[in-house]
Amino acid sequence: MSSIKEIEDIFSSYIIGKDTVKPNRPRFHIDVSNLKEAITLLKQRFGEEALYISNIIGVDKITEGIIEVNYFIHIIPLANTIVIKVVVPRDKPQVPSLIDMIPGAYSGECETYDLLGVDFVGNKYLKRSFFVPTDVVSRDIFPLRKDAKV
Amino acid sequence: MERATSLIKIPVTLEIPIGPQHPAIHEPILIKVYADGEEVVGVEIGTGYNHRGVEKLLENNTFYKDKFIVSRICGICNTVHENCFVRAVEYLAEIKPSPRAEYLRVLVMELERIHSHMLINAIMAEIIGFDTLFMYIMRDRELIMKAKEIVSGGRVLADFHMFGGVRRDIDEVKRDKLIEILKKVEPRLKYYRKLFENDPTISKRLTEIGVLKTRDVVSHGMVGPILRGSGVRSDTRAEDRYDAYDEIKFNVIVRSEGDSLARMLVRWDEALESLEMCKYILEHLPSGPAIVDERKLPRTFPAGESFTRVEAPRGELTYYIQHTGGSKPYRVKVRTPSFNNIINSGFSYLRHSIADVPVILVSYDPCISCMERAIVVNLRDGVEKKVTLKEIAMGKVKL
Repeated sequence: MSSIKEIEDIFSSYIIGKDTVKPNRPRFHIDVSNLKEAITLLKQRFGEEALYISNIIGVDKITEGIIEVNYFIHIIPLANTIVIKVVVPRDKPQVPSLIDMIPGAYSGECETYDLLGVDFVGNKYLKRSFFVPTDVVSRDIFPLRKDAKV
Repeated sequence: MERATSLIKIPVTLEIPIGPQHPAIHEPILIKVYADGEEVVGVEIGTGYNHRGVEKLLENNTFYKDKFIVSRICGICNTVHENCFVRAVEYLAEIKPSPRAEYLRVLVMELERIHSHMLINAIMAEIIGFDTLFMYIMRDRELIMKAKEIVSGGRVLADFHMFGGVRRDIDEVKRDKLIEILKKVEPRLKYYRKLFENDPTISKRLTEIGVLKTRDVVSHGMVGPILRGSGVRSDTRAEDRYDAYDEIKFNVIVRSEGDSLARMLVRWDEALESLEMCKYILEHLPSGPAIVDERKLPRTFPAGESFTRVEAPRGELTYYIQHTGGSKPYRVKVRTPSFNNIINSGFSYLRHSIADVPVILVSYDPCISCMERAIVVNLRDGVEKKVTLKEIAMGKVKL
C-alpha cells in the first residue's frame, strides 16, 4: 500500500525541508536543480496513469527576493495531492520545464510565465498574452508580482 | 500536341478559427483548427479573451468581499467556487460548520451538478442537430433551477455559503416542495439517459468520436467526467470526503470507452446519482442550527496556507490560499477544471474529421490559406515528390 511515507523515502536524498499545506497536503521542499529527477522518480514509482499535475502555483515573496513555485501533484492511488516546492531568485526566476515529462504541465507553466514571469526552461510554448491583456504586456508588467500596479 | 509529363497538386490546408465569439462556444476562447482536407492536423488553443484578473482582485480585497467575488467567477457552478474558497478559509481559521450546514451545502452543490450536466447534454443535443431535445432538456432543467432557488434564494447565483455555515435554511414546506420537484425530474433524467444511449443517430454521432486513452487523459491533467469517462476512478468527493460527503452514500461513475458518448453518459449517470443524494439529504437532514451569525465571525484570520479541492460539475476545482495574517489574503490561486480540460486538450482533436470537432464548424466561412508546400507527380511513373512552392518559383524543381 502506497503512503506518504513512501514518497518521503523516494525523495529522501532531495528533501531540504517539509511541512503541510492545510488540511493534509504534505509538502516537500527541494532544490530547483533536482526537480526533474524527483518527478522522474515519482513517475517511475506510480506509473504514467496514476498522477497528474493539478496546479503550478507561483508566489511572489517580494520581501525575501524570491519566487516560490509549488507543484501540486495529484496521486490517484493515494487519493491525495502532494506538493513539491522550489524557490528561485526573483530577479532571475528560472525553473526547468516538465512539459516533456508530463504534457499537462503546459497550462500551468504558460500561465505562471505570463502572470509572474517565471521562465520554464525548455518550454517552447511560453508567450506573453497567454492570459494577460496586450496593454499590460506592452508595459512589460507581470500582474501577479507584488510590485505590479494594474 | 505536347503531352504533359508531370502534374502539380497543391493540397489545401484550411485554417479554421473557431471563436473567440461563436454560437457553439459558450465562452470566449479561440480554437484554431488546421485541416488537411477533412482531417484535423493541428490545433492551437488561444486564451486570454476573458481574463478578469480575479486573483489580483482577491489579493486586494478582504476575505468577506472575496467570498462574494469567487461566486462570480462562474455563473453555472458558483456554489462549488464559494464552497472551495470558504473551506480553504475555514481550514486556516479552524472553523467547523454544523452538520446541518454541511448537508445543506452538499444539497445545493448537487442540485448545481444536476442542472450543469443537463445543460451540457442539452448543448450537445443542439450541436448534433437535435434542437427539440435541447429545448426539452432545458425545460426540465428549469425545475432544478427552481429547486436551487428554493434552497439558496438565487436561481443562478446562490451566495449560499458563509465561513462556518450557510446563509439560509429550509423548513418543512420547502423540503416537501423540493422532494416533489426531484420526483418530477427523476423520470425525465432516466428518459434522456436512455435516449442518449439507445438512439441510433445520437449514438452514431458520438460513439468512438474523440476517444481518449487513459494514459493521455491523466498525463494531460484532464479531470472530472473526462477522466472518469476514460476509465479512471477519481472523484474529489470520494477522495477528500469534505462536508457531508463522508456520510452520504454515492457511486463514482466510471466508464471505460473514453469516447464522447461515454463522457455524456457519465454526466447523465452522475445527475441521477446526485438526485438520489439530494433525496437522501432531504430525508436525513440533521437538526440544529445551520445559519451562521456573521456578526460573530472573526474579521481577521490566522496566517497559514491551505489547499482545497472540490468536485465541480466539470471536474476538480482547486483553491490555494497563502495568508500572512490580517484581513486580506496574500495570494489566492484558483484553478478551474476547464483550465486543464480545455487548454491541454489540443492533442485530442488530431486525426479526427473536421465535422467531429464538437462545434458547428459548418456555420463558419473558413479562412483558407495555402501552406508553402506542393506535391509534384511524375505522370510517367506515378512517383510523388514533396517540394516547396518557393523551390518551384525559383526554378529549382525539374518538371
